[in-house]
Amino acid sequence: MTSAVDPSISIATSVAARPDAPPAPVKLKVEGLQFYYGQSHALKNINFEIPEKRVTAMIGPSGCGKSTLLRVFNRMYDLYPGQRAEGQVLFDGVNIVGKELDSTVVRSRIGMVFQKPTPFPMSIYDNIAFGVRLHERLNKSQMDERVEWCLRKAAIWDETKDRLNTSALGMSGGQQQRLCIARTIAVRPEVILLDEPTSALDPISTSKIEDLIDELKRDFTIVIVTHNMQQAARCADITAFFYLGELIEVAPSDVIFTNPKEIKTRDYITGRFG
Amino acid sequence: MVQMPDHTVTSFDVELKDIGRKVVEMGGQAERLVADAVTALIKRDISVAQKVVSLDAGIDQVQRDIEDKAVLVIAKRQPVASDLREIVAAIRIANDLERIGDLAKNVGKRVIAIEGEYHPQKLVRGVEHMSDLVLEQLKEVLDAYAGRNESKALDVWGRDDAIDTMYTSLFRELLTYMMEDPRNISVCTHLLFCAKNIERMGDHATNIAEVVYYMVTGQVLPESRPKADASSDTTVAFPGRTA
Repeated sequence: MTSAVDPSISIATSVAARPDAPPAPVKLKVEGLQFYYGQSHALKNINFEIPEKRVTAMIGPSGCGKSTLLRVFNRMYDLYPGQRAEGQVLFDGVNIVGKELDSTVVRSRIGMVFQKPTPFPMSIYDNIAFGVRLHERLNKSQMDERVEWCLRKAAIWDETKDRLNTSALGMSGGQQQRLCIARTIAVRPEVILLDEPTSALDPISTSKIEDLIDELKRDFTIVIVTHNMQQAARCADITAFFYLGELIEVAPSDVIFTNPKEIKTRDYITGRFG
Repeated sequence: MVQMPDHTVTSFDVELKDIGRKVVEMGGQAERLVADAVTALIKRDISVAQKVVSLDAGIDQVQRDIEDKAVLVIAKRQPVASDLREIVAAIRIANDLERIGDLAKNVGKRVIAIEGEYHPQKLVRGVEHMSDLVLEQLKEVLDAYAGRNESKALDVWGRDDAIDTMYTSLFRELLTYMMEDPRNISVCTHLLFCAKNIERMGDHATNIAEVVYYMVTGQVLPESRPKADASSDTTVAFPGRTA
């Protein structure tokens, strides 16, 4: 296979339910990316582009490399010796895989939300203020404003405004996950990475998060890893299918879920994988 | 055709195959109904005509059955890609077959209505010839469906103009007969509707061909296909008068 990308489909322009949407510039550009966990070759020559202010979903069976790629975007692998990446991931033209950028800077501009809600054992207010204090010096009223802003963005303000000083651990799972999204937004990143953000949540909380994703893509570029194919079909403008460390196909979600080009993609999304 | 691997969930395959089988079965029923309707018309056989009229209800029932099953699969399995196209195709093809059944039934009714009247053999043979073509198209397109054969579907799709041409010439002839002798008008009008019904069946066959093509390839055929039904702008001048 020469390229996973069908040249007849221009992703940046064909994106989205909205036909009037202007073509989106490329936010993250992955070029010839290889990733190794020690000896094991986890990502094999990945090339693709993530457009700005769009939702890009990465799907594939367990172990296909989608979460690994998400970890590369966030330089998470830096924390583990023996894991290394080759190739380039250009973030607004700057390679984040190389040493040009400090990983804390990368992480403040590319935020991540995990599968299980991970609130800190502190108040709702401090959960948000904690990260902000690492990057910015704000006075009390500025901080109050920031906390309200991101709680509103994460559609959880109404549920939390009267209990900002109570422990975040007393919230429901769905609320905790939205708090984690609020915490990610608080440092005003440009890209939000979501690693199976709803797999531990009930259907109502899942709908709320999906609704939130729709809202957030006005301001942020979103990359979501999900095992829930319907979720990718619902939320994502673009879907990328990975298998055994390779990018098999990437196309607008409407194409992937009605008429995928690759047989492997079809077999996976229709539930025919042996 | 590349054999598709089975779903991990076995019952999903069972349900899809069941729907496919029902569509094929319904196709067979529709084919027989059309053939019987034409036989009834040509042989002026009232009992066959009555049978056609009564059997159409069975086709309607199968259509509802297919629709119910398809809706249930969508609700339970949320099919995507080729599975989704298969389900959508089943619903649409069942619709077209149901219409074909209705048209055959209408021919049957007309055979009963014109019982005992004058029977212009030449015109009836024209209708017979046209219906042979339609039956052939119907058979081919049902084979294309059963075999998931897009090129066969494409052949059917491109061949409807022969039926249209034949219909247009029948239309002219019937008009001429009516002008020659007003006593022919009743029979000729019924024959005209029979011919129109059969021509419409051909259109449904091409619809099915489009659906089969979409189901197999995921591509939609272009809007324009070869057409030759010129009856809408055909007139015949009354003898002795200038048109």
